[in-house]
Amino acid sequence: MFVARSIAADHKDLIHDVSYDFHGRRMATCSSDQSVKVWDKSENGEWHCTASWKTHSGSVWRVTWAHPEFGQVLASCSFDRTAAVWEEIVGESNDKQRGLSHWIKRTTLVDSRTSVTDVKFAPKHMGLMLTTCSADGVVRIYEAPDVMNLSQWSLQHEISCKLSCSCISWNPSSSRAHPPMFAVGSDDSNVTYGGKVQIYEYNENTRKYSKAETLMTVTDAVHDIAFAPNLGRSFHVLAIATKDVRIFKLVPMRKESTSTGPTKLEVQIVAQFDNHNSQVWRVSWNITSTLLASSGDDGCVRLWKANYMDNWKCTGILKGDGSPLTGSSGQPTAMSTVVGSSVQTSQSTLNGIKKCQTLC
Amino acid sequence: MSGSKPDILWSPHHPDRYVICDSELGLYRIGPVGSSETKPKETAATLLAINSDTPYMKCVAWYPKHEPECLLAVGQANGRVVLTSLGQSHNSTYKDLVGKEFVPKHARQCNTLAWNPVDSNLLAAGLDKHRADFSVLIWDISSKFSPEASVASEKSRFSAVELDSSTVVTKPLYELGQNDACLSLCWLLRDPKLLLAGMHRNLAIFDLRNTSQKTFVNTKAIQGVTVDPHFHDRVASFFEGQVAIWDLRKFEKPVLTLNEQPKPLTKVAWCPTRNGLLATLTRDSNIIRLYDMQHTPTPIGDETEPTIIERSVQPCESQIGSFAWHPSSQNRMVVVSAANRVMTDFTVFERISLAWSSTSSLMWACGRHLYDCAEDGAEGVQGAIEKDIATKMRQRAQSSYGHDTVQVWRNHLLAGGNDSQLKCLWYDLFYMKLCAEDPELKLQGNKQSLVHSGIKNIVKTSSGTTESRRCWSGSDRQTDVPRYHSEERCLALRLCGWISRGPDIDVEVFLRSLEHEREWERAAAVALFNLDIRRAIQILNKGATAEKGDLNLNVVAMALSGYTDEKSSLWREMCSSLRLQLKNPYLCVMFAFLTSEPGAYDGVLFESSVAVRDRVAFACMFLSDAQLPRYIDKLTNEMKEVGNLEGILLTGLTKDGVDLMESYVDLTGDVQTASFCMLKGSPGDVLKDPRVQCWIENYRNLLDAWRFWHKRAEFDIHRGKLDPSSKPLAQVFVSCNFCGKSISYSCSAMPHQGRGFSQYGVSGSPTKSKVTSCPGCRKPLPRCALCLMNMGTPVSNCPGTGKSDEKVDLTRENKLAQFNNWFTWCHNCRHGGHAGHMLSWFRDHTECPVSACTCKCMQLDTTGNLVPSDSS
Repeated sequence: MFVARSIAADHKDLIHDVSYDFHGRRMATCSSDQSVKVWDKSENGEWHCTASWKTHSGSVWRVTWAHPEFGQVLASCSFDRTAAVWEEIVGESNDKQRGLSHWIKRTTLVDSRTSVTDVKFAPKHMGLMLTTCSADGVVRIYEAPDVMNLSQWSLQHEISCKLSCSCISWNPSSSRAHPPMFAVGSDDSNVTYGGKVQIYEYNENTRKYSKAETLMTVTDAVHDIAFAPNLGRSFHVLAIATKDVRIFKLVPMRKESTSTGPTKLEVQIVAQFDNHNSQVWRVSWNITSTLLASSGDDGCVRLWKANYMDNWKCTGILKGDGSPLTGSSGQPTAMSTVVGSSVQTSQSTLNGIKKCQTLC
Repeated sequence: MSGSKPDILWSPHHPDRYVICDSELGLYRIGPVGSSETKPKETAATLLAINSDTPYMKCVAWYPKHEPECLLAVGQANGRVVLTSLGQSHNSTYKDLVGKEFVPKHARQCNTLAWNPVDSNLLAAGLDKHRADFSVLIWDISSKFSPEASVASEKSRFSAVELDSSTVVTKPLYELGQNDACLSLCWLLRDPKLLLAGMHRNLAIFDLRNTSQKTFVNTKAIQGVTVDPHFHDRVASFFEGQVAIWDLRKFEKPVLTLNEQPKPLTKVAWCPTRNGLLATLTRDSNIIRLYDMQHTPTPIGDETEPTIIERSVQPCESQIGSFAWHPSSQNRMVVVSAANRVMTDFTVFERISLAWSSTSSLMWACGRHLYDCAEDGAEGVQGAIEKDIATKMRQRAQSSYGHDTVQVWRNHLLAGGNDSQLKCLWYDLFYMKLCAEDPELKLQGNKQSLVHSGIKNIVKTSSGTTESRRCWSGSDRQTDVPRYHSEERCLALRLCGWISRGPDIDVEVFLRSLEHEREWERAAAVALFNLDIRRAIQILNKGATAEKGDLNLNVVAMALSGYTDEKSSLWREMCSSLRLQLKNPYLCVMFAFLTSEPGAYDGVLFESSVAVRDRVAFACMFLSDAQLPRYIDKLTNEMKEVGNLEGILLTGLTKDGVDLMESYVDLTGDVQTASFCMLKGSPGDVLKDPRVQCWIENYRNLLDAWRFWHKRAEFDIHRGKLDPSSKPLAQVFVSCNFCGKSISYSCSAMPHQGRGFSQYGVSGSPTKSKVTSCPGCRKPLPRCALCLMNMGTPVSNCPGTGKSDEKVDLTRENKLAQFNNWFTWCHNCRHGGHAGHMLSWFRDHTECPVSACTCKCMQLDTTGNLVPSDSS
C-alpha cells in the first residue's frame, strides 16, 4: 500500500514545479511567490527545507537540477523573462550547522524578450548545457565551456519554433547511435497552426539543430512533454500532456552511415487517454520509463503502465490532495439527491491497485 | 439571475451554510458524511429551513455582517426589496429588521442587490429603466418609519400589496442613474463610498460623497460586475459570451477581453481564496471555465500582458444552474444543477506538477502543498507498482543477482525465483558453462567455440547424422519412429539439459531431478520421448501418489498403457481428439507424439506452452537433417520477435542473441539481466556490440542513481573479470615536488600503475621497503598535516579509535590500516596527510587542520556527504 504524505511546503503562492536531483535525495520547488526552495531528505525519509531564496521578480515556472558531476547546480526560469543558474556553495558561513545551505546566482540569462517557460539541462554526456524555451517561440541552447566556472555561459544555438513554446524535453539517450535530440511543445491553442510538438536533432555535419519531425496529430495546446529514459532501448518514447495523455514511440530508421540529413523517425502513437476528461498539465516518467504519471484538471494524478504487449493501462488514481478516490471513473462527480434530502458529495476511489496486479 | 433558475449564496460567516434560491429560499448546512474517520471526505447537505414568504424573487443578497445572521435582502419583480431571514428564532433585537420593505416610487423589476461591505446599513438596488425615476436606489435599512416617509407610504397604496406601513420604507438614501437601467451592481472594495454599476450601455462609478458626478465608460459588457477581492482595482463584467477585465486605474477600456464563449454567460465570479482565478458559467453547460490570471497587470509595465491559463472543470454530469465559491475554504465551490437542484460540493484543484524520483517515489505539488507518495515498508511506491521493473531491479541488485558465477542457474533464485523466462535463461547459461568447461569437448577443438554460438549454429554444422530405430524399452516391438544421432545433436541435448556428460545418451539423471522437483508431467513426457513408456507410466503413478491421488495423472497413465501403434485403432482416434482437452501441455504433447506420423510432429513442436528447451531437444532427436534447421530457424525468429529469453538457447550469445536481447530490453527495460547475460559470452565478441555497451552503461547509471555505489563497484569488478578491456586506467598520479616523476612509478615493481599507488606506503610487509622519500630523486615526501611525519611512514593509531577493537577484529583492522596509510589531500587547499588521520580530524572539525587555512575541506563536495544506500 502507499501513502501520500503531505509536506508543509510553506510557499506563499502556487507551486509550479517540483524536481528531483539525480539521486532522489534532494528536491527543488518553485512558486509564484518568486522563490525557489531546496529540500533534503533525511535518513528517516523526512524532507527538510534547507534553502529558500527569492530567485526572480516574477512567477518561477520551472526549476531543474544539473547532473551532480557538475556540482550542486540548479536552473530556474521565470515570467520575468530570464533564466538563472544557481550553485550551492559551502565555506564562509556556518549555515551547514544550522541545517541550511547557501545558494548563489552564477548567471542570469537575459536573451529572451518574453516569459521563459521552461528550462532543462541537456543529458550529461553532452557536457554542461542548458536549454530554455520562451513564449515568443525561441529555444536557446547555452553551454558552460568551463564547468568550474558557471558564470560563463555562451549562447550556442537559437532556434525559432514559430509558435509560443511551453515546454521542452531532451532525449536522454546516451547511445552514440542517437544524435542529440530534443522535443518542444507549444501551448498555442489555435488548432489551425498544425502540429504543436516539434522534434529537433543535432546534425554533426552542419553543427546545427534542424527539425526532424513535427507531430502533426497533436493540434491542441501542449502543456508538458517528456522523453522517457531510454535505458538502452532501440527507440524513443515521448509522453505529451495536451487535452489528453499521449504516448508516442519514435523509431529511428536504420540509415546508411553516409547519408547526412536528419534521422528519419517512424512515429507511432502507442496510447492516448482522455481519462482526465480535461486538460492534462504534466507528465513524468519513472527511471525505467515503465511507469508514467500524469496530472490533469480533474485534480487527479494518474499512473500508467504498459504490459508485455505494450498495452498501456491506468494502474492508479490519486486525488490531488492526497486523499484516495472511490468509484471507478475517478471523476469528482458528485451524485446527489433532489431538494430537501441530503446532498452527497463525493469522491470516488481508486480502483487501480487490484487491476494492476493482474496486469503485470 | 432569474426566478426560475436556482442561485446559491454562501453564508458570509458560517463556513458550512448556504442558501439556494429559486422560487423559495432554502438554507442548507453542509458537513461530512457519517463518522469523520472515514478517509474519503464525503459531504452531505442538510436542509435547515425553507422560506417561501417572498414571491416573485429576482435577486437575493446576504447581509455581510455577523449580526444579525441569516438576514437576507430579496429583490422582487415589482422592484420592492424585502428583508427576510431563515431559520432564526425571531429574537427581539432584529425583529424590526425582518420583514422590512423598501419600495421604489415606480414598480419595475429589481435586477440586482448589493450590500455595502463596510457600511452595512447601505443596500444598493438596481432596477429596470423608468422614464421618471432613478434606477439605482440606495436604501438605509436602519431608517425608521419617519414622518416624511408617510407621504411616500400614501403612494405605496397604489401597489397591489398593502402592508403594515410601519415596516415600509419608501425614501431611499440616495437615488442615482435617472432615466437609465441598472443590470448589475457592486461596491468597490478600495473605497466603500464608490459604487460600480452596470447601466444600460455603460459602466458607471458613483461616488456617494458627490452623487451628481459619475465616471463612466461606454461598453456593452455591463452584466455581472464584480471586483477581484485580492486586487481591488480589477473588475470583471460580461456581455453575451465575452468577459471583460477592467483596471479601475485606467478605466477607458478593458485591459483584457477573454476568449468569447459560444453561449451567453450567466455568472462570473472571482475566487475569494486565490489570486486571480475567475470562474465563468455559460447557459446550458456542464462546464465551469476558469481563467487563471497569473499576474496582476501593472499600469507602468507597457506590454506586460498577464498570462492567462484557461481551464475548464466539470463538476457534475448535468447542466449547471449556478455555482458559488466558498468564502474561506480553498478553491471550493458548491454547484447546483439547472434541472432538479442536484448539488455538488466541488473543489477546483490547482494545476498539479509532479516528478518521479530515481527511487520510485512520486512527488507532486498541488496549490501550495507538496505530497510525497513514498515507499511504504518493503513494497514499492504502491502495491500497484510492486512489480515494476525498476523496483525489481533494485531488489535484485541488492540480492547480488547475476554475481553467482559458479552455480549460474542459482541467479534466477536471486532474482526472486518466480520468473520463468529468467529461469530458462540462467539454466541455458549454466549448461553452456558446463559444456564450455568440459575437458572432453576441449579436446575436440572447434566444438568448444560452438558452445556459445547457440543451437541454431550447432545444428547447422551437424554432419554424420545416423538414423536408428529403437525398440520401445520394455518390449521388443520395433518402433517405426526414426531417431537421429550426431555429435552436434548430442551437444545440443546437453545444452538443453536433457543429458549430461558422457557418450551414451542417458536421461535417467535428468528424469530423477525432474521427479525431485515434482514436475511429473514433464518427466513423463521426457521419458516417453526417450521411448520408455513403462518409465513414463511409472513416473505418472508416482506423481499421482505424491500429489495425494491426483486422479488425472492416473487416468493419463492408464491411457498411456493402452498405446497401440496400429494406425486405425480406436485408441488412436480417441487420443488425438481428446488430448486437446488436457490442461497440462506436457500431457497433451505426449499423446500428440504417440498419435503422430513419424516425421510430422507439429503437435509437439508448435505447442507454445511447452518449454523451448524441451521442444528443441525433441526436435534434435526426431527431426531429420532437412527438417531440423528449418524448425530451429523458425523458432529462433519467433523468439527474437517477441524477445523471449528462452530463445537464448537457440541464438547463444551471438549477434542473434543480442538481437533477441534487444527486443527483450525494448519490452521490459531490464538492462540488468541483459548486462549480466551478455557478460557471460565467452570470448567477448558480443561485448563489443555497441548495444551491449549501452545496456551496461545504462545499468551502471541506474546503480549510481540509486546510490548503490558498492553494487556498482562489484559489478565493475565482475565485468573486469569477464571483459578485461573494460578495466579503467589509473585516474590520479602523484608526482614528486622536486623531480616531477611519479612517486608510485618506481617504488612498485609492477607495471600496473594504478595498483602501484594503492600499495604504496604499505609497510610491515617484508617484501616492500619503507619509502619516505621520492624514489626518483631521494628527496623527502610531504608531511602529514596532523602527525607531521613524512608520508610513507606507517600511521600510528588515531586517538579516536579504541585499541581493544583492533584485537577483536584483526583482519578487518588490517584492511583498514592499509587505507589509513594512504595519501589524501584536499583538492581545494592542497593540504593533506594520512587518510586515517584526516578522517578522524574531520569527525570533530570542519576546517582544515593546517593552521590559518580556513578551507572546509570535507564539505566541499555534497555528493561526498551522501551515504551509499547499499552499504552493508
